[in-house]
Amino acid sequence: MPDGQLGAGLPEGAPEVPDAVDRPRVGTDEWVAQHEERREAGRGLAGLVARTWERIPPPGRLALLLGPFAVFPFVTNEGNLYRYGLITLIYAVLALGLNIVVGFAGLLDLGYIAFFGFGAYLYGIMASGHSGHHLQAEIAVPIVVVATGLLGLLLGLTSWRLLGDYLAIVTLFFLQAFVIFVNNANGGLNDFSYPFVGKVDLTGGANGLDRIDPLNFFGYKITTTKGYYFYTLIALAILMTMLFFVNLSRTGRAWRALREDPLAAEAMSTPVNRLKLLAFMFGAAIAGFTGTIFGAVQSGAFPGDYDVGLLITIYAIVILGGLGSIGGVVIGALIVNGAPELLRSSANARFLFYGVLVLALLIGMRPWYRALVVLVGTIVFGFAVHAIVGAAWSRGTAGHTQGGGAFGRALDHWVVLPTNPSRIAGWAYFALIVAALALTLVRGWWRVVVMIPTLYLAAFVWENKLVEQVSGATRLILLGALLVVIMNVRPSGIFGTARVEVV
Amino acid sequence: MRKVIVAALLAAGVAVLTTAAWGSTKAPKRASSGSNAGNALVKCGKTRTIGLMAPITGPAASLGQPQVHWANFFKNQYNRTHKTKIKFVPEDTMLGSANGTAEAVKGAQALGSNPAVLGVVGPAGSNEVKATTGALKGAGVGFVSGSATNTQITLDGTRTGFFFRTVPPDSSQSKSVANYMVNTLKVKRVYIIDDQEAYSTGLADEVQALLKAKGVDVSRDGVSQQQSDFSALINKIPRNTQLVYLPWQLPPKGKAFGQQMKTLGRGGIKLMGSDGLFDPAFSGLGNNVYDSFFPLNPADPRVAAFKKNHSGSELFGAPTYVATQVVAGAIDRACKDGTATRAEVRRQIKKTNILAKTSLLGLPLKFDRHGDMVKKPFGIYKSQKGVFVRVA
Amino acid sequence: MCGPPSGGPHSFVRSCPPVNWSLFFGELVSGLTLGSIYALIALGYTMVYGILKLLNFAHGDVYMIGAFVAFFVLQWLGGPISTSVTGWVAIAIMFVVAMLACGGLGVAIERFAYRPLRNAPRIAPLISALGVSIFLQNSALLLWGPQFRDYGTFTLIGVKTYSIGSNFFISNVQILTISASIGLMIVLALLVSRTRAGKAMRATSFDREAAEMMGISVDRVISFTFFVGSALAAAAGVMFGIVFGQIFTLMGFTAGLKGFTAAVVGGIGSIPGAMLGGFLIGLTEAFSTGYLPGGSTYANLYVFALLIAIFLIRPTGLLGSPVIRKV
Repeated sequence: MPDGQLGAGLPEGAPEVPDAVDRPRVGTDEWVAQHEERREAGRGLAGLVARTWERIPPPGRLALLLGPFAVFPFVTNEGNLYRYGLITLIYAVLALGLNIVVGFAGLLDLGYIAFFGFGAYLYGIMASGHSGHHLQAEIAVPIVVVATGLLGLLLGLTSWRLLGDYLAIVTLFFLQAFVIFVNNANGGLNDFSYPFVGKVDLTGGANGLDRIDPLNFFGYKITTTKGYYFYTLIALAILMTMLFFVNLSRTGRAWRALREDPLAAEAMSTPVNRLKLLAFMFGAAIAGFTGTIFGAVQSGAFPGDYDVGLLITIYAIVILGGLGSIGGVVIGALIVNGAPELLRSSANARFLFYGVLVLALLIGMRPWYRALVVLVGTIVFGFAVHAIVGAAWSRGTAGHTQGGGAFGRALDHWVVLPTNPSRIAGWAYFALIVAALALTLVRGWWRVVVMIPTLYLAAFVWENKLVEQVSGATRLILLGALLVVIMNVRPSGIFGTARVEVV
Repeated sequence: MRKVIVAALLAAGVAVLTTAAWGSTKAPKRASSGSNAGNALVKCGKTRTIGLMAPITGPAASLGQPQVHWANFFKNQYNRTHKTKIKFVPEDTMLGSANGTAEAVKGAQALGSNPAVLGVVGPAGSNEVKATTGALKGAGVGFVSGSATNTQITLDGTRTGFFFRTVPPDSSQSKSVANYMVNTLKVKRVYIIDDQEAYSTGLADEVQALLKAKGVDVSRDGVSQQQSDFSALINKIPRNTQLVYLPWQLPPKGKAFGQQMKTLGRGGIKLMGSDGLFDPAFSGLGNNVYDSFFPLNPADPRVAAFKKNHSGSELFGAPTYVATQVVAGAIDRACKDGTATRAEVRRQIKKTNILAKTSLLGLPLKFDRHGDMVKKPFGIYKSQKGVFVRVA
Repeated sequence: MCGPPSGGPHSFVRSCPPVNWSLFFGELVSGLTLGSIYALIALGYTMVYGILKLLNFAHGDVYMIGAFVAFFVLQWLGGPISTSVTGWVAIAIMFVVAMLACGGLGVAIERFAYRPLRNAPRIAPLISALGVSIFLQNSALLLWGPQFRDYGTFTLIGVKTYSIGSNFFISNVQILTISASIGLMIVLALLVSRTRAGKAMRATSFDREAAEMMGISVDRVISFTFFVGSALAAAAGVMFGIVFGQIFTLMGFTAGLKGFTAAVVGGIGSIPGAMLGGFLIGLTEAFSTGYLPGGSTYANLYVFALLIAIFLIRPTGLLGSPVIRKV
């Protein structure tokens, strides 16, 4: 019977076709088919913020993002400025460069940090007490940027014939090769002998290239943290503006096409190989520029600084902020760099941990009363277990939370704290992972029931194990877990719009 | 209504940032700048604050933990016997971790801008010393390290008057080692293997140069600290080599190397390590194992007292005890008139004079104009029945 | 050519220094031992890639966990000094327990970190894999610390060196590693080519949708693949501990990198390619250490140069099939 619905024209006996809302229509492209999903996403607070954000003109958006950074130096001391401010900005600029390669053009570059190190070392070779040359920054910095760009071009040439995953391995090995080279190129007895010049001390070897000059523009030296902070902030603002315009330009559109579907782009006669090289060059040049800043700030370049650990940090920033999102890298850098700094003191870390837990609970459990039930239940459960364990085994609750503070002391009565927690904490950690994974498998009220002991177990593991290495292993454990969770929940990052196909 | 919500969210964002700024220190918010910081007058109350920089966590934690333990040992002793008290502000430099020297610089900046900190013990690594010089010098703070041994950091003039060390530099160790090899062991064919870290390559370079100057046939190669498979390299070592020099930092690696040498038929070749390998794991390999270490007296009662509360003697951290002693003593002297500046503390560090018989290291604690100790010998040890015994 | 002329200044006969066979055979044995470990790791990478087109970054850490599980089993048995069972039996138990445990770990990783992302854009499971790798490595660091753990192979089974002639030396642990590794590879090859499960694996890696339509339970096949790949990595980890004596929590990274390189060099997705690649990388490392200047320091650089050379000639690896890109 014709009633205007899909499936109306099918012969009798054919199965009913479900409503259009539930699945993309056959024959229509994905963008159109996701129209209802987009409408859903536009509702609610997040949608409201997103739409208001879109309405603000771009210069206003830039001012809003970077405004707090401009105010920051006047409300804090030098130590905090360095830690929270300057390092965050440097990582943000680095992430911006990586975003061009991975987010705009879709190339998996695992050797990006080598360009960062190359920039720092080259600047050091041109302006340091170690090398004896003292070029001024207005000459040295452009040379470094161009040279690093050329190096990026060279590495990009390998992508000519290589497809995504092979490119990843070549770039990763390039980074390893760079670290080894830089660690040994000190003209010493273990170094290569170059043609014509013999052995030359290029990088100071494992001892690093020290006594790098501060940035010296036309005689004006930047020597204070504040100076470097504002220099980097201005550079970040300029770069973000540049990239915004590039995004709107023909090259930006071509990069997006390359990212979404390289084969189709090639079929539409966009010069795919040239675009890849351009992306590599751009990203490398930005990394080189950041290298000059970092080298000058530390007044030295050391091999250990430019290795895989930093690569993972910058990737985490780009992924969290969203691939292809220019403003997202700033937020990502704040989270990835700022949060661990906050975690340094046990008391702060404790606040953050429990705060995030409660927040996640409130957001995650839809009817608010369920979240309340879980919260109250956990607290009651905790006191009960504490009392039982305390009665049965005195050493079980004799320990104290680290770091003290009123909150910590209150927790002494809630969490089971054995005097010698190492072995139990290890097994508890394993149990916690199993419980958390099991949580994802159950639904409804079962989830509430399982969540209560799981939360208590999490508190136990935190106080007895994770708190020990808060700024080291724990931070990375949480980062790893965060990456997995984010990919499962929101693969495009917080602000991302990208869909990267690694062919 | 919507505008109110948006404005509230933005205000929240700004608030988070400012809280982060305020939250971790009670210091006044003036940024300290340039040479003024060193002359800021601090009132010396009952508690004196010393900054402690060491790799508390991370891959080099096995080097940092002994240092922290020995520093705390001194602090507890001092607090028991003095009316004034010492307090540490610890900064974890995470030496060898993902962020390289950046963590050390962050810590140095934090200590520098904490006006109560009058002196710093640490950092542990020579590269960290170089990276943090800018921050610490800028804040006018003197720093004394118990383990940064790179020869150049006191000689290049960049940190004179600010940096001191209570451990003999690499030049002493390389001289003692080379002399012993040439004069006592009389070896003519030596193979040197470094582990690619700054400490190791520095020592290896110096020893190689000294041996070559004395006509010894020297070959050189390197392994990475991550490597456990030395068989490919050992195969390359000619069987007529008389001694293999391993200036490494990790005793288990030294042990693995020695065992693999035996498996590949080269167990008769002498092995010599540096102070990083001064550990029962290395000496347990056999009687043809030598090592160099500063001439600490293991029978010192303080070592025994330390051992009582810790699992071992952790001798690597002993110079940090002395470094803390130096800084604490300097602060005491500078605070005699009730107030002190960081510049005064630095001057008092320069004037340190601890006699040999009271010093833990068995050496008089006096600094020369570069910041090194005036007397800085290294002792040579040989393994006898699995334990290192001093032979030179 | 070689040295000074032996029959007077105008003679054509020059005495060449004798070929250093001892070095050659030594490096050969080293290279084969290393190579067999890399090959086992590479197999895990290549099998997972063949089916899911995913680079499992967490594989190196599964290898490390296998080594540690075996160490704890050894401790539980009383070792390494005084084991309650003879050395070889202890080793067999260590192998079995580690392989089963890591197989389970691999299945769990796939189930929770990769399966929900099967239809997501390609980069999502890649990042998830990176996250799992960071998580595993640092959990191990937190729980077990950065210290080295010793298998105590000397006291456990006693390391004996055998020699053929005056130039060829090989130790019993090296023989064990090479033969066990080749044995496992043969078992895998038979598994993939002769059994039904193997046929299902091959079908799924060829065309997942078609396999599903033919009634193959793709979920189970993928879980099985992860199980086998992780078990092989665990075996490699135990072998490493036995031959080289020491394990530590950061060993997964370098080994994973080399194994990954081996898989890619051999052509990712190809099982014989992974085996070939593993041995090639191991031999390159050993021979470059032995013969090239600054060998041991720059060994990784030489492997990199080999990598580039192979890619310039065959961009999809030695035994890889050219990628057909469908629009």
